[in-house]
Amino acid sequence: MNAQFVERLGAVIAGIAVAVVAFYALYKDWQSTGIENQVFKLMLALLGLGAVLALLAGLNVIGFTPPKGAY
Amino acid sequence: MSVAAIGADAHGHVDQLYVETRELRLQGFLLFLISDCVLFSSFIFAYLYLRNSGQGWPPPGIQRLDVAFAAWNSVVLFGSGATMHYALENFKHGNFMKYMRFLLATIVLGAGFLGGQAYEYNHLIFGEHVTWWGSGIFGASFFTLTGMHGLHVFLGVCYLTVLVLQSAAGVYTKGKFFGITAGTLYWHFVDVIWVVLFSIFYLI
Repeated sequence: MNAQFVERLGAVIAGIAVAVVAFYALYKDWQSTGIENQVFKLMLALLGLGAVLALLAGLNVIGFTPPKGAY
Repeated sequence: MSVAAIGADAHGHVDQLYVETRELRLQGFLLFLISDCVLFSSFIFAYLYLRNSGQGWPPPGIQRLDVAFAAWNSVVLFGSGATMHYALENFKHGNFMKYMRFLLATIVLGAGFLGGQAYEYNHLIFGEHVTWWGSGIFGASFFTLTGMHGLHVFLGVCYLTVLVLQSAAGVYTKGKFFGITAGTLYWHFVDVIWVVLFSIFYLI
């Protein structure tokens, strides 16, 4: 088990957790009003998107990983 | 459940000045975030312009950035956004101890992200010899943008530490907590900027 595998595994597990938490918080706050809550909703959506991107990167769907011994 | 009046302190006394200026402070803070957004946008668009005007990216002699560690470090920062959100929610609902725990977790995760960034800089500079001063557009844009973001994270960690001290001293009450709201907005902003930086440097 190399370091890259551990990093990817961590990104996948934590990415799922953060995405679920962010989208659940967004769902719970959906009905809230007021300028700050609208900003919070926008930022939670982008936070969830970021977690999904990190999750996909961890799964090697997107991004780049150098082959072993490339550096 | 009783709802605390906006601007009321722990004894129920309403601070009229706070009530009258809260919206103004919020608008001022949002304008500050928008100005910061413009600052990052100008650097990001400059990077994208330079990236697309050259012959291939990254420039010859420089490897593409490894996404595995960056993905892990990104999740650490995004996780801190989630803990900060729940810190504010718990404060609003009067769960002071949970609020403090989530706030401290946010600080730890933010510091962890900075440690990860320092590790990556070390790897790039000493392992792959990619430097700000000697690697052309790639090194200059990468270190400028991620360094500027790192500075924002560092300032955010300092801000949140001040929030912990103020909260422990009883500065904020259930009806008077604009500082915590501003801290949450700032921290989410820092997270969202990283979503963009992570995408343009590591994913595309």
